[in-house]
Amino acid sequence: MEFEEYVSARGQELVRLGFTVSGDYQRAEDLAQIALMQAFRSWRKVRNTDDPHHYVRRILVNEFLSMTRRRSYGEAPTADVEPQRTVPDHATNIANSDHLWRALATLSARERVVLVLRYYQDLDDQTIADVLGIKPSSVRATASRALASLRKTRESHRVDERLS
Amino acid sequence: MSNTDLEDDLRGTFERAAATVPEAAGLTERATAGARRAQRRTWIVSGAAAVAVAAVAVVGFGLAGSHNQPTQPAQPPVAGAQAPAVETLTPQVLSAQAVSGTWRPVEIAGVKSLKAARPEDPVLTLRPDGTWVGSDGCNALQGTYTIGQRGAFTATSGPQHMMGCDNVPHTGVLKAAKRVALDGDALHFFGADGLQLASYARAR
Repeated sequence: MEFEEYVSARGQELVRLGFTVSGDYQRAEDLAQIALMQAFRSWRKVRNTDDPHHYVRRILVNEFLSMTRRRSYGEAPTADVEPQRTVPDHATNIANSDHLWRALATLSARERVVLVLRYYQDLDDQTIADVLGIKPSSVRATASRALASLRKTRESHRVDERLS
Repeated sequence: MSNTDLEDDLRGTFERAAATVPEAAGLTERATAGARRAQRRTWIVSGAAAVAVAAVAVVGFGLAGSHNQPTQPAQPPVAGAQAPAVETLTPQVLSAQAVSGTWRPVEIAGVKSLKAARPEDPVLTLRPDGTWVGSDGCNALQGTYTIGQRGAFTATSGPQHMMGCDNVPHTGVLKAAKRVALDGDALHFFGADGLQLASYARAR
């Protein structure tokens, strides 16, 4: 498979994956672009693997996790010249309509990634462990912690709704 | 609530979120162009490093040679070979004249999107009289700047509108820049910590 063929077949899927892990459309495109750039550099090797998409997805997810560890993550570029954006903020639209999406934003980056890989990408724990370079038992523990946290947030949300 | 319910809801939430992502245009071009640019940068850095190593080696050998042959200090045997390497490393003398022209941003630290569609072209024009003008994509910008021979840089900005779009923060770059370097058709700005803030390419 040529690089261009891969991108036209799976590129948009990568942007969607980037969005589900980051919750930010701009960042999602950046993540997809970085992953594709890295894959392009060694495409001859990548296309000969059993599943090139698995390889590129791994780059994207790990780039996101590295990004969240950087101190600059979430900072605005320059406060004095960055006015309010008028570009439609898709994340805000979803956040307004889906409290579970909002609750996902409170999880750690790794917890969120594990849930995305498990429930959006439908990967098993062994494959998720391979993507993240951790043990399957760590994947299970992280997912269980994340689900517990979401359940708790959801319960408190319901209590708030009843009280209001 | 059971785990299964929550898991089903999560699947639905992710699907809905993913469905809102607009089509990303030109992914192939951006990825290949970006990778090629990065590769070129690596070659340039490797080339510069090789030149630096060669220069150090030549200077080192030259010094060693002059120690070994104290009777011929005026004409070290490798003086001819030394010259080009030293020339390559000599910083370019900078002036407002040298950097004057119109520049388009190639990379700005912390800014992800420099290619978004904007009402205006987000260029920066440095004038030889020490003033600068430009556009962040939707607002006119202006100010003054000074530049030292070794690249010391300061800038001020005048009043500007703050209309919202995918603004390119030229003002932020210029005000934070403490040093500037010219490399052919590329202009690089560096902050007080010595890290690169932004690089611009000369607009054709």
